[in-house]
Amino acid sequence: MWRSGAAKDAVPRIAHLDRDRPLVEAAQRDPARFDALYRRYLARVYSYAYYELGDHHAAEDATEATFVSALTNLHRFEERARPADGEGASTFRVWLFQIARNEVAGERRRARRRPVQPIGETVVVDPLDIEAEAVRRDEARAAWQALGRLPGERRQAMVLRFVDELSTAEIAGVLGRSEGAVRVLIHRALKSVARDMGVSKRSGDGRGSAS
Amino acid sequence: MSLSRRDGGEIEALITDRYLDSLLAIQSSPQLVGGPLGSDDSLSAAVRAVSLRLATDLPRFHPSFRFEERLALRLAEVAASMRLPVAAGAEGQVVPFREVRPGSPDPLRPAGDEDDRDARPLLIGGAVAASALSLAGAWLAWRRRTSPMARAIRAAHSMGQPGGGV
Repeated sequence: MWRSGAAKDAVPRIAHLDRDRPLVEAAQRDPARFDALYRRYLARVYSYAYYELGDHHAAEDATEATFVSALTNLHRFEERARPADGEGASTFRVWLFQIARNEVAGERRRARRRPVQPIGETVVVDPLDIEAEAVRRDEARAAWQALGRLPGERRQAMVLRFVDELSTAEIAGVLGRSEGAVRVLIHRALKSVARDMGVSKRSGDGRGSAS
Repeated sequence: MSLSRRDGGEIEALITDRYLDSLLAIQSSPQLVGGPLGSDDSLSAAVRAVSLRLATDLPRFHPSFRFEERLALRLAEVAASMRLPVAAGAEGQVVPFREVRPGSPDPLRPAGDEDDRDARPLLIGGAVAASALSLAGAWLAWRRRTSPMARAIRAAHSMGQPGGGV
């Protein structure tokens, strides 16, 4: 329990704890322990790559490159968590998604150089066509398509927020923007998606006349 | 854009952000379902509705088990290669030598190898003792293995008469 006055000031503040700190430190001591971090973040990194690239194989390539790069550069990672990042925030996660973002961008560039099939100008290919067996709901398809029509950074911010469940502060770290800018980015993206999906202002359940 | 309008947009974005925090916390924690979910009237109904819909409908994908294990194996190989330099160097590590008591057979010596004892290379660490033994051995060998002619020459030298005087 904290005491008031000088005694309180004398006690050092508890530093913000990165939820991944024990696993990161263990992996830095012994690279074989990286497996725990890999298992924890595999689906999230893969999902991010999949939403961005819209192709199963390209997403796998980007995911593989992300984790190999993270492992080989783990000794360079320094935790820079701030209390403002919020409870349970992870700077490792921010660092990992920064790598993923770079790898996805690289994968996109490679795909442009050797296109196997025509790529939409700004619209991400719909992976639910491939995953139709797994995801059958039309709502999911509509949500995906609306998200895919957003411009680059808005789409990335939305995927990181809704699919990977990163905080605004963490997304700001990944995108290299201020928290305020990310908040506005997401807010505008939501309004844009709402218009796109035909969710009216009076809609209570969000099940508007989706495309 | 006027300052008040910009501030209004930022405030609206901040309210949306708080709403998303609660919404996603509920989505990821089933025990929170049914709990209070920020009923701020200033938040647009459309934004609220689409947020709920995206939080519910956007799936998180998982790669195939085969891919997961293949990548895990590759990472394990990369990790092993990162650990290799430490194991190979092993600087400063003391390697204990097995104690050899006087009279006991040399455990490193192969059977039937008794005659070439002096011909074996010596390990570093026994070099000083080996050098002393080698000098003594060489002197003895010189004393014992010299020919009669050599012994005669040596005797002549000791008498101080060049050519012998015998």
